[in-house]
This record gives sequence, C-alpha cells and structure tokens, in this order.
Amino acid sequence: MILTAAILILISGLIFPGIIGKVKAKIVGRKGPGFFQPVYDIVRLFRKGSVYSTTTSYIFRLSPLIYFATIFTALFFLPFFNQKGVFSFEGDFVVFAYLFALGRFMMIIAALDTGSGFEGMGANREALFSMIVEPAFFILMGSLALITDHISFYELFVNLHFGSNLSVLVTLIGTYLLIQIAMVENSRVPVDDPKTHLELTMIHEVMILDYSGFDLALIQLANLFKFSIYGALIANFVLPATMPFYLLVLGFLAVEIVFAVIVGLLESFRARNKMNKNPQWIISLSAIAVLVFIAVLILIERM
Amino acid sequence: MVSLLIVLYGLTLIYFALSERVNNYVVLLGIQGVLLFTIAFYNLRDINIVGLIFILLETIVVKTFLIPYFLNRVRRHNNLKRVQEHSIPVFYSVLIIVLLLVTGFVLGNQLEVKSIQSKFFSISIASLLSGLFFVIIHKNVFSHLVGYLIIENGMFLLSLAVGNEMPVLVSLAIMIDIFIGILVIGIFLNKVGDVFQSTNIDELSQLKN
Amino acid sequence: MVLLVFFAISIIISSLIFLLRKKTVNLILTSLFVATQIGLSAYSFIHKGETDSAYFTFDAIGIILSMVLSLLSITTLYHSILYLNRHTSGIKNECIYFASLVMLISSMTGAYFANHLAVMWVCIEATTLFVALLIFHERSKVALEAAWKYLYVSSIGVTIAFMGLLFLSAISNAHGIKSLDMKQLAIIAKDMNPIYLKITFLLVLVGFSAKMGIVPLHTVTVDAHTAAPFPVSAFISTTLMNVGFLGIFRLFTIVAHTGIINWTNALLIIVGTLSIAMSAIQLLRIKHFKRMFAFSSLEHMGIIAVALSLGKPGYYAAILHIVFHSFVKAGLFYQIGQVYNFFKSYWISDTGNYFKINPVGGLVIILGFISITAMPPSGLFISEFLVFKALFALKHYALACFILFLFTIIIYVFGKHIFFLLYSNPPENKNFETIKINRFETISQFVLFGLVIYLGFNPPVFFTDLIKSAISF
Repeated sequence: MILTAAILILISGLIFPGIIGKVKAKIVGRKGPGFFQPVYDIVRLFRKGSVYSTTTSYIFRLSPLIYFATIFTALFFLPFFNQKGVFSFEGDFVVFAYLFALGRFMMIIAALDTGSGFEGMGANREALFSMIVEPAFFILMGSLALITDHISFYELFVNLHFGSNLSVLVTLIGTYLLIQIAMVENSRVPVDDPKTHLELTMIHEVMILDYSGFDLALIQLANLFKFSIYGALIANFVLPATMPFYLLVLGFLAVEIVFAVIVGLLESFRARNKMNKNPQWIISLSAIAVLVFIAVLILIERM
Repeated sequence: MVSLLIVLYGLTLIYFALSERVNNYVVLLGIQGVLLFTIAFYNLRDINIVGLIFILLETIVVKTFLIPYFLNRVRRHNNLKRVQEHSIPVFYSVLIIVLLLVTGFVLGNQLEVKSIQSKFFSISIASLLSGLFFVIIHKNVFSHLVGYLIIENGMFLLSLAVGNEMPVLVSLAIMIDIFIGILVIGIFLNKVGDVFQSTNIDELSQLKN
Repeated sequence: MVLLVFFAISIIISSLIFLLRKKTVNLILTSLFVATQIGLSAYSFIHKGETDSAYFTFDAIGIILSMVLSLLSITTLYHSILYLNRHTSGIKNECIYFASLVMLISSMTGAYFANHLAVMWVCIEATTLFVALLIFHERSKVALEAAWKYLYVSSIGVTIAFMGLLFLSAISNAHGIKSLDMKQLAIIAKDMNPIYLKITFLLVLVGFSAKMGIVPLHTVTVDAHTAAPFPVSAFISTTLMNVGFLGIFRLFTIVAHTGIINWTNALLIIVGTLSIAMSAIQLLRIKHFKRMFAFSSLEHMGIIAVALSLGKPGYYAAILHIVFHSFVKAGLFYQIGQVYNFFKSYWISDTGNYFKINPVGGLVIILGFISITAMPPSGLFISEFLVFKALFALKHYALACFILFLFTIIIYVFGKHIFFLLYSNPPENKNFETIKINRFETISQFVLFGLVIYLGFNPPVFFTDLIKSAISF
C-alpha cells in the first residue's frame, strides 16, 4: 500500500510524546501522565476559541496553517523500505529539507510579527541554530547518495547495503547524527528545554507564546509529526529492506518507540547547554558529518 | 579495518578542537594511543615477532598510560584551571580543524605512492597541521605540550605506514616519544611552572627587546 | 670501529665528570676528551673517504666541519674555564656543564660523519637535549625560558624533518632500496617522482631550519644564543648551525642531479633572502649585544642558503663562508664575554669607552667588526664576493642589489653599536681599576681572526682540495 508509511508515521506520532513523558516520569520515580494525554490536550485545544493580539497581522494567523501544511506534506515524502512514498522523485530530500525550512520561516516571521522582544529573541536563536544544523543534514544525505549513486529517498534507502567495517561505522555515526539533528530541530535538550518557561532561555517555546486555541493545536500536532518523521528516517536507515512486510511494520514501530525512549533518556540525564555554547555544539554535528563524508569517500575508493 | 581506525583518529582530532577541559585532552591522548596500538597491530604483521611485540608494548605503555599519567601529574602540580582559555572561539576552531582535515585528505589524494596507502599520509599531514594549529590558539605551556604530542602521534602513524620494510624507523619514532615524554614533560614543565608561578606563555616573553 | 670507540669514550668521560664532583677532574677529563676529538679529526683526514662502523664515512665535508669543531672545542674549553671561574655556580652545575659539553661535541661529530640519514637524524636529535642543558646553566628565568623554547621548537623541527625522512624512505622503498644510505639514494634519485622529492626536501628544510637558524624556525636559535653563557653561545652559534647546514646539505646532494634542482634553488634563494631581510629588520631595533650577534648569525646563514642555490661556484662559496663564519662569530662572542666582565651587562646602553679601558680588547672588537661585516682583508669578503659574482653571472641583478642594500643596513647597525661600545662616553659610577685584565684571554680571538684572513687570501692546498672534493657531487 502506498500510504503505509504515512499511516504508520501518523499513528506513531500520536503516541510519541506520551512515551517521552512517561519515560521521563518513570526515571524520576513519578507515575507520569497517561500515554494519550498529549492527544487529549490537542483535541481539547481544537474545541477552544482563539484570542489574537491587536499588534499582529494576517501573517500571525496564516503561519500555523502553513507550518502544519508543510510538515504534513513532508510526511508523504518518506518511503517505507521497499515502497515509494507518495511523492518520490530525484532530489526529493532537498525539497523535504526545505519544506521544513519553509515552515520554520513562517513561524519565525510570525514571532517577529507580534512585536514582542522575547519572541524576537527566540526567533533569532531559532534562525541561527537551524542554519548551523542544515549542513549536517545535507552532508549526511550527500554521503549516502555517494554510496548508492541515487538521489531520491526511496532509491537511496533501497540500495544501501552495509558490508565492511567502515560501513558499520558509517551506520553508527549516521544514526547518532540523525538523532542529534532531530533533537536540534525539535528543540529538545541539550539545545533547548521544552519544559522551561523562563523567557530568557526559551527558543522554540517562546515563539509560540502568543498562540491559543486552534492555532496552538495545529502547532503542537505538527511538532508531534516532526518527531515521528525523523524516527521514520532512522528506521529506513537502520533496518534492511529485505524482511517480510509484517516484520517491517513491527520493526518500524519498534524503532519509533525505541527512539522515543532514547529521547526521554537523553532528556532526563543531560542538562541543557549554556546558551553561548550552543553554536559550537551544533557545529560539531556538521564536523562529524564531514568525517562521515570522508569515510564514505574512502569506502567507495575514491581516496 | 585500518580505514575505520583512521576515521576514528580523525574524530579525536575534531574533539580536540571541541573540548575545553584540560582533562579531556589527556583522555583524548590516551584514546589516540589505543587507536595507534590497534593500527600498529594490523599493519606490522610482516616484521619479526620480537620487534612487533616491542613496538606494541611501547605504544600501549607509553602512549596510553605513561604520558597521560605524567600529564596528569603536571596538571596537578601546576594547579591548572579546569578550562583552558582559547584565543579564538571554539566555533571557529572546529571549522578550521575540519578544514585542515579536508586539506590533509585532498593533499594525500594527489599522491599515489605504491608503498604507502595515501590514507596514512593524509591523516598524518592533517594531524601535523592540527597540532600546529592547536599550539597557535592556546596560550598555556601545557596545551603547547599536548599540541606537540598530537604532531608526534601523526608522525608515528606515518612511520607505521613504512614500518613493514624498515622497522628501525618505527623504533626511532618511539624513542622520540620516550624522550619527550619522560624528559620534557616530567622535568622541564614542572620547572617552568615553579619558576614562573604560572604556565601562561605571556610570562615567557622576557626575551624580546 | 674508531667512531664507536670515540662514542664509548665520550659516554664514559661524561658520566665520570657527572659522578665525581671534583673541579680538577672536570678539567683533566674534558681536556683529555678534546685531545681525543682532535686526534679523531686528524685520523679522519688521514683516512679520507673510508667508511667506519658501517654507518659513518670520513667524507670531505665531514672532515672540514670536524676540524672546525676541534679548533673551536679548544677555545670553548679555555673560555668556559674562565667563565666558570668568574661566575661560580656550584660544583654540580659545573659538572653538568662539562658533561653536556662533552656529549654535545661527540654527538656533533657523529652527525658530521654519518652516511645514513637516520643515524644523522638521531645524532641531531641528541644535540637538542644537550644544548638545552647548556643553555639552562645559569638557572635564571631568562635562561629557563630560552631553554624551554629551544627544546620545544627544536623538537617540533626535528619531528618535521623526521616526517620528511619517512616519506623519503617510503618512496625509496617503492624503488627497491630498503635503507636510507645516502649513496644509494643519490643513485636512484633521478628515477623518483619529482613531487615526492619536492615534498621531502621541503619538510627536511623546514625541519632543520630550527637547527641551522634560517627562516622559518629561526626564532629559537636567536633566543638561545642570547640567553646562554657566552662560551656556549660561541659554540652553538657556529658548530651547531653547521650541523643544521649539513642536514640540509646532505639532502641537497641527493636531489642535486634530479629534475627538481631548479625548484630547490628557487626555494633556497627565497629562504636565504627572507633570512637576511628578517635579520636586517630586527637589527634596526636591537639593544643587546648577544642578540645582535645572534641576528648576525641568521644573516650569514641566509647568505649560505643563497650561495647553495647558485650552482658550482656557489657551493664553493657556501663552504668557505661556513668555515670562516664559525671562526669569526666565535671570536666575537669570546670578546663580548670579556666586555661583560667589565660592564657586568650585555645591554648596549650600559657600555662605553671600551677602547680606553681595554685597548687590546678594543682592537679585537675592531678586527671582529671588520671581519663579520665582510670587509677586506677578512676571509668572509672572499666568500661573499664569490656569492655575488655567481649571482651576477646568473643574471639575478635585482636580487643582488636588494641583498647588497640589506647588507648596508646591517653594516650601519653594527657600526653604530660597535663604535658606541668603543668610543662613547663611559657609563657613570663604574670603577674599572679593580677588574683584572687577563693577558691571555685575547690570544684565541687573534688566532681565529688571523686564521680567517690567512685562509681567505692564501689558503693551503689541503684546504682547497678538501672543499673541492666536498662539492664534487
């Protein structure tokens, strides 16, 4: 079925934040909210009305819609092991990355639109961090494209075989990089702590301070799906495409759940970076991506 | 297998730029020692067994244990601060180290020597340049020593590349190691710390006009 | 066999000096060692061309430099004794001084005669250690700083040179030669890929520039010569720089008949001219005598590098220059030590009226000034004249004029400070009658300067024959 990937991502996205919350709570010894609590919150928000500030313009009302639309569209780019995504063409991972960038751009200008100093500060940081992490994603995808000689998601993941020792290293580092990129993109620890509500230290949360009701629900829903999209990417990367269908479905869900658990563990045991140390931490991801690129060049014997 | 270890060695070079604590430098040098030990093991299969054991022993003992031990002693003796100051922000030094790594690999790619795989030459040049860069951006005598040890690890890697035919060169590289490790680190650095009461190189500028 | 015996004797003597803490024993043993070294030089001259102990050959350039070393060892020993009598610093420090001196002389001899690149490299590495110990003799802050910097940068330089040697051995392995013997390398050098040879030469040049004292790693030699005791400065700014020169020269002979010789010559000219320019610029701000002489060494090494790039006539001039420079520089340093005895300071502004105080010493200074700035009748005039003749013959007119201009600046600075030392108003509050002038102290300098004049204008046949066979590669 061509929509397998999309349906699975939607399902896993709905339980993702629940798992993270439960893991974090269990580690500190609490019972924690239920698995579906975030979904209930979103449904509740959908039923509420919105309040708009008088300093905002149509951009403020427009951006949550565009943000959600881009994330939702990006969903359909991902392949499901040996089945193409709904949209699949050459160079689709570039469109994928820039759909995300479009959504983020709309959120940034909406935050600037409110005229609030705090939101401007958050927009500023968000723009910087996403700029620094972009090379990491592209260099990683570029390295994979070098190995397999194809440049669309589906072809890339179908042709990815791992034989020698060096390719094991590439897999491990690639997975680590993807996890960290996901953490940066979703504004989790160590880049940003979603629980903190001290305005001076927020990055993503501060941009959505002024949203309420339907808009806030859209934004939170989009955040859920961003996570599970990255989980799908990791699942495609890690699991081979040669297993039977039902095993693949189970493997996909398992990878998503393990990813959520890892995020929960990372959030519990790490502290947030000092704000001025964030750029150097994020640039280290790009540096490691360059190393993966060199390793791939050695692998394909261009070196 | 050797390619994997060389890539991991490149990873340690990046972490040298990234870490700020003095302790991390010492740990990274130990990790480099372990990597060199493994590379030596895989590369020097053809020389006689006694020479091989000597080289392996020296790598593990001196590079992984003795030198970090001496460095730790010097660090405690001089009461070095936990975090070393940089002349340029870490952000830019990471970028520059990546650039040097890429330069090393590009340079190594231009050569096609039959008896060295060009990977060895590339990582060795990258290590030399990174060590020199490390010395330039740090202002502490201790960090200068760490930078010298990075250069020396790069030189040892290059000597492993030709070690099969001429094991005497690998032994020479080891001699420098022992010489620098015991003499320079053990004796001179402590003296500098004692006499100048600090290991900042701004104190070491009396010889200008 | 002979050289191994020599090394064994040097190790035994230096250990004895270090263990038996007695002053007279020091003197006797060191004199014995210097006599042994002179005997070795004579033996090597008689057995010219023979190979000894499988890794050493008594070739011509080694014999020349070893003879220079012998002569300078005698004078260094004499002036060290005078220096240590004036600055007492405990018997242990004196023992370390003499032991390091003995080991330094022996490792330099090994470096001169080695015919295997790795053995030469080991000897050069060994000299670093002993020189650092000698620089550190006075145990002052300045000395510690100079010793630390010297040890550090010299180690980096030697490491870079080692990388060059590793690379050379790798590419020679590809041609089937499994050792770094210089003769075999010279034979197959024509077949090697030029890029590899260029990289090797570049790495070795940069590495040994720390020892020879030219750009780019010249800074530590300048600092070391400033902070060391004056006999040590005299010794290391001459014979040690000769070792650095020999390292580069050996590799130069290997690549001299290959296709990269033009590139090598261009590189040497650039390095030499930069050294002379650096020296000229730095000398304009100089305020310290020993530092002035150290920069002068930088300049002369630059001239030697330029000379080396000029083909056959240049090679002859280079070797002449290095021999003469050793003698003249040593003489200058010895006399400056005597100046220190009077003024208790090496800073230029603290001195003055030296000619009145010590006429013989003042005469030596004038002779030294004439010699080091290459005015006739100094032998350095002959060698620099040959260098410029070759430069003009190869049509490097602009470069020759530029270097002459730099020389003018250097002569100006030298003249200004030397004449300040000799003839300006005396510093106040200094009483010079109580300082005894040692009658025999200036003999060594007269001998050295006279030797330079004699060898410049009327060289004995064996000297010119040695040089000609040294440059016949």
